[in-house]
Amino acid sequence: MTYAQARIVEAYIGEYASGKSELAINRALELRQTSDEVTLVDLDFVEPFYTLRSLRDYLQQQGLTVIAWGREDSFGLGETGSLVNPPARWVMWRSGHIIIDVGYGVHGAASLNLVEGALESPELKVWAVINTGRPMTSTVRDIVDYVTSLQRVDGLINNSHLGDLTTMEFVLEGLRVVKEASQQLNLPVIYTAVEKALEPDLRAAGLNPSQIKGITRYMPGAMW
Amino acid sequence: MTQPVMPKTWYVPSKPHKFCPGCGHPLILKALGEAVDELGIQNQTIYGCDIGCSLLSWNFFAMDSTQTHHGRTTPVMVGMKRARPELICVGYMGDGGGYSIGSQHLVNSAIRNEKVTLILANNTNYAMTGGQLAPTTLPGQKTETTPFGRDPALTGNPTMGPEMISSITGDGAYVARGTVAKYRQLKGFIKKALQNQMEGNGFSFVEALSTCPTNWRTNAKQTWSWLEDEMGSFYPVGELKSPFRKED
Amino acid sequence: MEKPVTGTRKVFMTGNETVAWAALAAEADIMFGYPITPQNEIMHYWTRLGAKYDRGFLQTEDEISAGFTVCGAIIAGKKAFTATAGPGNTLMQEPFSMAEAMRLPIVAIIQQRGGPSSGTVIYSQQEVTLTTYGGNGEGHRIVYSTASHQELYDYTIKAFNTAWKYRFPTFVLGDGYQAKMREPLEMYDPEARNLEIIKPSPMVGLPGQIGIDREPQHLCNIYSLEEELYDVVLKVQAEYDGIIPELVEYECRECDDAEILVVSHGVVSRSTDDAVMALRSQGIKVGAFRPITLRPFPSQKLREILRSGVKKMLVVESAYGQLVRLLKQEIYGETVPIETLLMPGVGIIDADIISKVKSLIQ
Repeated sequence: MTYAQARIVEAYIGEYASGKSELAINRALELRQTSDEVTLVDLDFVEPFYTLRSLRDYLQQQGLTVIAWGREDSFGLGETGSLVNPPARWVMWRSGHIIIDVGYGVHGAASLNLVEGALESPELKVWAVINTGRPMTSTVRDIVDYVTSLQRVDGLINNSHLGDLTTMEFVLEGLRVVKEASQQLNLPVIYTAVEKALEPDLRAAGLNPSQIKGITRYMPGAMW
Repeated sequence: MTQPVMPKTWYVPSKPHKFCPGCGHPLILKALGEAVDELGIQNQTIYGCDIGCSLLSWNFFAMDSTQTHHGRTTPVMVGMKRARPELICVGYMGDGGGYSIGSQHLVNSAIRNEKVTLILANNTNYAMTGGQLAPTTLPGQKTETTPFGRDPALTGNPTMGPEMISSITGDGAYVARGTVAKYRQLKGFIKKALQNQMEGNGFSFVEALSTCPTNWRTNAKQTWSWLEDEMGSFYPVGELKSPFRKED
Repeated sequence: MEKPVTGTRKVFMTGNETVAWAALAAEADIMFGYPITPQNEIMHYWTRLGAKYDRGFLQTEDEISAGFTVCGAIIAGKKAFTATAGPGNTLMQEPFSMAEAMRLPIVAIIQQRGGPSSGTVIYSQQEVTLTTYGGNGEGHRIVYSTASHQELYDYTIKAFNTAWKYRFPTFVLGDGYQAKMREPLEMYDPEARNLEIIKPSPMVGLPGQIGIDREPQHLCNIYSLEEELYDVVLKVQAEYDGIIPELVEYECRECDDAEILVVSHGVVSRSTDDAVMALRSQGIKVGAFRPITLRPFPSQKLREILRSGVKKMLVVESAYGQLVRLLKQEIYGETVPIETLLMPGVGIIDADIISKVKSLIQ
């Protein structure tokens, strides 16, 4: 069996609270518009809290296949229930697009070792999500050091924002810093993510529309 | 009449001390005092003492000292050493504080090879509380909570502290068991345990077999016999781990 | 060594990270800790940042040890701190008690979780009693209950200053939501705001030769006689009472003509603020009082507000009456009826408070 179009396998990786889950959800929903088979995988183990778990049912109603513990599945397992969900281990065997939300932690992209066959797959793209509003990834030097520590990254996504206080200037300054880091790292900048409301401003500022991804923030409602 | 010679680092205003006649603690503390004198480290040594009879030494030394809580001398001294590595941190405790309520601290600081010196007095009972079972109480020994003698089937065998510590601690650690019956040897062990910290080699631990005539209800002769014969035959004395040349 | 925070900087962080940065800015030297949800990222970020800014860390064998190693480091004269939650807070009451008795300026961040054990680890306000009056002492402690990341930053810095100035154990009482939630805040170099950082001082290992230049330090909290302890406790109590006016902090919102006064603390007060705004827009005379210091409690201010025309008081908390108890003992004698909205271990939103207030005026 072959696909009419090559399938997409993307892993979202990055600093704690950098927006990995948010962008993974948005990407999965975007792909769902043109494809029936989209699987979103939660691979968050270090103190999972803001995770896909509490959004699982909602996202499934949107037509996604979500591989994540439900709150009721992991509750009472001790602390936050940092356990591998067995279907996540074998998710590469599924057909259709696969979006993996990798939690933060010192092991970086090595967390993908837990997904059988992922790192060996020619389909896999690992995107590092960068928010320059995060103090540990706010400068070119810090971003280069950080991305290098992740072991494998195929591209950067500029997700610079300050929550409700985000301005267009902050996003553009973030893009400048991320671009400079990407040149040093010899990696492409895949896109800049902004809330939909700011999208027109960014276009007006001369940013190539293909470089902008308007997103909806779902995670503020995802607290466990 | 000649007065007994006290170590320079004994704090004179707190003497005479309050330990019972025949108690082994003052001998251990004398060995510690003399060792500190000989090494010339009075001003940088910090002495921490536990709860129980060891507490009676809270103002025993002319050294900066702090009392802690029962079993918690180890973490207090570890915290102090971590905060100011130039200090020589010495913790003093009984067998209850070290092997029972504070055993997790002892075990884990030994495993982490913390650069502190711990001295533990083993007198086979909880003395300050009135003579109850200690981890070191010998099989068959009567205490207030083992009125028919310690039965290892019910309460296990005595804790072999230095044997345990030497098998879990790291390179550079110094572990020995001395006895107040062999004062010069005990002092040698304590001195090495201090030197080991000064050189930053590793964890240093000395168990000292000690006497408690009050709770053993023994006269002088019986006390010595219990120490040398009963305890001495159960608990082997000597160095178990040392980065130094072996003590003869 | 470069400063961890220079000038002022807008950032987007979780609460736990905020605490780690604030401790750096407060010139904390060393942290001792033991893993427990939801405070772990304080250690995660302290270890990452500590390597860069030359600060110490030790993961101890348990919380008892974490508390006592902090005591040891403080006695040695370093700014040491810890962070914990839930059962870890229970275990730390022993070292906290020692710190109280020996006047050791211990700083602890408590990120409350549901009691008593595992599973329900995310959020609760059930550690109020434990943090204010836990331990076998008289509660000679200072407890700041924060509501936002900005406050976590501000009050963590303040906690170190308060502790080292007054030498009472000082706590920042957060919760799992504050720990994990992410929001923007301003990080700043305290110096750039003319905020003096109080320097630590050692209690042992002092300069000079013992017996020649100085006497040895003999630190203890033992007393041979009950009367000695009595004298010491009374002296400490008097000292504590004396500094209460300097320490108490609170927030009032729309209190002036309020007929219903909602009292809440910590993150719940944010829902209260939203509820008050919504109810005011509907013409309902409601106000909000928020103690920031739970210990000492701003009782004088609360009494004043109650006497200015309040008809009913509504206490709202994510616990079954821990704030209520604290408040009742502090305002004994006031006659305003107390109503409660008690939701132990779960979050409270503005709608919960709005409907409760409305039920009170029907």
